[in-house]
Amino acid sequence: MLTIERTETARLFMVELADLMVSQDPGLVLCTFPLGACLGIAVYDPVTRVGGVLHSMLPDSSIDPKRAAARPGMFLDTGLAMLLEYACNLKVKKENLLVYVAGGSEVMDETACFNIGKRNYSVLTRLLANYGMSIHAEDVGGLTNRIMQLNLGTGAVRLKYSGQSKMKTLCKP
Amino acid sequence: MQAVDDYINRVRFLPPAPRIVPELMKLLKQTDLDSSKVVKLVSYDPALTANVLRICNSAYFGAATTTCDLQEAVTRLGFQQVYQLVTAVMGARMLGASQPGYGLDDGELWKHSIAVAVTAQMMARKLSDDENLIFTAALLHDIGKIILAQALETIYPKLVRETEMNQQSLLESEKKLLGVQHAEVGARLLERWKFPPNIVASVWFHHSPKGAGNHQRLASYIYLADMIAHFMGHGYGHLAFALRGRSEALTILGLTSESIPQFLMESFDEMRTVEALFSLAA
Repeated sequence: MLTIERTETARLFMVELADLMVSQDPGLVLCTFPLGACLGIAVYDPVTRVGGVLHSMLPDSSIDPKRAAARPGMFLDTGLAMLLEYACNLKVKKENLLVYVAGGSEVMDETACFNIGKRNYSVLTRLLANYGMSIHAEDVGGLTNRIMQLNLGTGAVRLKYSGQSKMKTLCKP
Repeated sequence: MQAVDDYINRVRFLPPAPRIVPELMKLLKQTDLDSSKVVKLVSYDPALTANVLRICNSAYFGAATTTCDLQEAVTRLGFQQVYQLVTAVMGARMLGASQPGYGLDDGELWKHSIAVAVTAQMMARKLSDDENLIFTAALLHDIGKIILAQALETIYPKLVRETEMNQQSLLESEKKLLGVQHAEVGARLLERWKFPPNIVASVWFHHSPKGAGNHQRLASYIYLADMIAHFMGHGYGHLAFALRGRSEALTILGLTSESIPQFLMESFDEMRTVEALFSLAA
């Protein structure tokens, strides 16, 4: 499966699809499942070493508010709000958070009928702007499925592409 | 057609035919279905029998008492459920292995196939089409990949380069480099295995549903479910998203792109249910 090997010292925590996780445990590595056209959003505060990962499927919760109430992580608007809320509950200042984004793969579609990934990304950038935040580093779009992991001890953000064994570094420790 | 046949004849390894599936499909069409015929078919395959019993006795079906009688299991689960279980177990057998030619690890082609199958089935249920037929066609849509993977193993860097440089789909790159592509190879294989023409046609045209003639609806279900599975992260291997957008699939089913987010959410629900179920069958 497209998963990352357990590292020597850190414990791997898999964040479910349509879910999120925030923690201040420096021994944890938060890891998404394969993202497809969904977006993985990692936030990290290098000062407190608090970080979180969100794996959202769709841009806007207004399509199904009931679902959003049960599973805020499914949508970018409700998921991001909760990610930031949980981080702030751990005494993090929003302005200290570094934001990393991965996923949003795109099929070859001139008609734009199937551009879920693109729509997700454009909504995310708008939402972040509303919070006065911007993306520190990203690996978005393209033709390959990928997973993202955030090491809470070091702040390193790494990616693994489906079909490739080597990992890519989005942010060095 | 001859080129595809020649190609299949030359490959080193062909998976064993899932003979029971087309047989069960025939039974499924009968109005006065005799469950003893189903039991007889399943009982020829000991591993399959064991799986049906195991799943029937699992907590998922809320089994109060354990049974080791296949007839009772079939009665308890109902024929629809048994049919799907059998198809899924056969699918897991054929699609479970890694396919390095496509950059697919162990279980990835299987997981992709089951995601497409349950998504297509859910869509068919909503649009009142034959969900068993659609489940089977969708489950087997990529069967041709297990044939082509053997040839691609040595040339996959070329396939990746070709696809990226020319901005063409994986299917188009296969055709260019090997002379055949996985959809036609899979369809021809299913035809040899005596699957009905609607399944053969829909697998053949699952990347271009308009080409499937009378079976456009079936092909469109596979096409859209394949897209949705990719969006949800269940599309694996090298450049898995090198697929052409075909809005015709939406038109054929009377849908618009507005329906895609709804299907994504429901596919998510379906996958949560079957992940528990099929990990038993694997």
